[in-house]
Amino acid sequence: MESLGFLMQGFGIALQPENLMFAVLGAFLGTLIGALPGLGPANGVAILIPLAFTLGLSPETSLILLTSVYAGAMYGGRISSILLNIPGDEPAMMTCLDGYPMAQKGKAAEAMAISAIASFIGSLIATIGLIVMAPWLASFALTFGPAEYFALFVLAFATLGGITGKNPVKTLMAAAIGLMIATVGIDGSTGTQRYTFDVLELFEGIDFIIAIVGLFAISELLFFIEQHAGEGKPMIAMNKMTLKLKDIVAILPTSFRGGVLGFISGVLPGAGASLGSFISYTLEKKILGKKGNFGEGDPRGVAAPEAGNNGAASGALVPMLTLGVPGSGTTAVLLAMLISLNITPGPLMFTQHGDIVWGVIAALLIGNVILLLMNIPMVGIFVKLLSVPPKYLLPVVTMVAFVGIYSISHSTFDLYFMVAFGVAGYFLRKLDIPLVPVILGMLLGPEMEKNLRHAMQLSDGDWTILIGSPLAVTLWCIAIAGLLLPVIVGPILRRRMSAAKAATDA
Amino acid sequence: MNDRIFGLLMLTLAVAYGWGAQQFPEPFGGAESIGPETFPTVLSIVLALSSLYLIVRPDPDQQWPWSRTGAEMVLAIVILCLYTALLEPLGFIVTTTAAVGTLCWRMGSKPVRAYVTGLLGGIVVFALFNFVLELPLPLGILEVA
Repeated sequence: MESLGFLMQGFGIALQPENLMFAVLGAFLGTLIGALPGLGPANGVAILIPLAFTLGLSPETSLILLTSVYAGAMYGGRISSILLNIPGDEPAMMTCLDGYPMAQKGKAAEAMAISAIASFIGSLIATIGLIVMAPWLASFALTFGPAEYFALFVLAFATLGGITGKNPVKTLMAAAIGLMIATVGIDGSTGTQRYTFDVLELFEGIDFIIAIVGLFAISELLFFIEQHAGEGKPMIAMNKMTLKLKDIVAILPTSFRGGVLGFISGVLPGAGASLGSFISYTLEKKILGKKGNFGEGDPRGVAAPEAGNNGAASGALVPMLTLGVPGSGTTAVLLAMLISLNITPGPLMFTQHGDIVWGVIAALLIGNVILLLMNIPMVGIFVKLLSVPPKYLLPVVTMVAFVGIYSISHSTFDLYFMVAFGVAGYFLRKLDIPLVPVILGMLLGPEMEKNLRHAMQLSDGDWTILIGSPLAVTLWCIAIAGLLLPVIVGPILRRRMSAAKAATDA
Repeated sequence: MNDRIFGLLMLTLAVAYGWGAQQFPEPFGGAESIGPETFPTVLSIVLALSSLYLIVRPDPDQQWPWSRTGAEMVLAIVILCLYTALLEPLGFIVTTTAAVGTLCWRMGSKPVRAYVTGLLGGIVVFALFNFVLELPLPLGILEVA
């Protein structure tokens, strides 16, 4: 159990006063970001990256801050699900099913407390899973050659749309666009200028942080303007909490099952947090169907999806940390942070930057305790902040995005670029082209090309090396399955998800 | 129809991008089995094929916001561009008040409250950045020369 020793070192890092302070700050901001409709976790983390960057934080501290935001966002998503019947972020959709009815019955405070406890358990289980599994997967990944890595990157793109994704061709297009953007600039290994059009600002390539903030934050503003959603929605008031120990014990088995299922779907490529919460909710309904009143405010119906999505959130860190291949939008944004800190993600990170990895894992555990403590007594504060209507919130968020980007380089050229990416992001979203593959393409492009190049140099220009080992072939097969499955299974799953939602709305 | 137009645009991009890749000068030290143009060529093929698929089998259309809402959105983009252009000459606080205020107002807030939000936001962020984080933002015309 050498992992435990490393973990203890990790705690040493995470418990330093500065890091602890940023973990608390991150947990608070994260919950807020998760709770506010229109400010999803990926979006929120993206806006904070430039700030962490310009503050000159050390890599550990920046990552601890952002992982706490990430963990916090998963907690926060439930607040608007329960009080407004609008999920604060996508995975929190299933929490609406029983959370909102509970709130309607005057049990909003209980629903909040239960979901916080379930979130905590889900996260805890998944973080333990991460501690056990990550070093193992990292040492396995060390056997990967360039051809396997290339196949792995293809797999990441193919499964990114997820099983619930709509049109895999659009995922593919989005990935190609992102990879193309990544090729702009001076080619790292030959020094050739590619697509720079002799514009000095393009020589170093396009900064993905600018693109990410533009694609998420600015396009969100445009969407809110389009939908005239500036006013916000009516909210159910909080009540005084009367939660007994018995009620907490009653949701424990559900939370455990949810956490495990969530972790598995977080680790698996293409599943993600939305599916994690969906599966754990439906399974719980199957197991307890007759004994419970699911859909009418059953506490276990709140616990299951919350444990599921928090489990999945920590699970999704496994492929990101060990392989350098994120499985979701938010982990992609975290990867952006790593790359801009000059840390090459992947199996070597555990040996080369062990202190950072274990510091982050320890911070995740500490963050969860902080979040639990913060989310039960302080939920009222978040509820207050939630009542800030989007008409004030989104312009202010836009300003923060501007300041963040401006403070990196003090160049207005970057700001124009960000606005352009925002407009492009709006059009892509309107056309149902997913944004995450675009971002992932920009992030992974250089690595992908490097691995292709190495593979081809090893084989002396023979393309068959890409399918030259059993492992590579397996990865390619999963990638192809990842593209084809959504076409077959996707419509069924999506229909079930919306049917479950419609049943409670009615 | 939307998807067809987008597919056509992307197909054009793929062809232009792929053609561009073939024009790269041969790298110093002679050609290798894989040069600067190989990866872009693969990408242009992937994009071209998926664009063709989209042209042949497009998804159902989304509604586009025409008329007033569309104009509001164009206005928002113009505001953001002006914000960028005037940030340095006029200074952070002035431009933020104008940009955030106008955005809040156009999104449905009362004008006075909108501009007060912009002004307060601008001052708070300016103070935070200049005095706490020590990252100077431009003061512009408010600067006492």
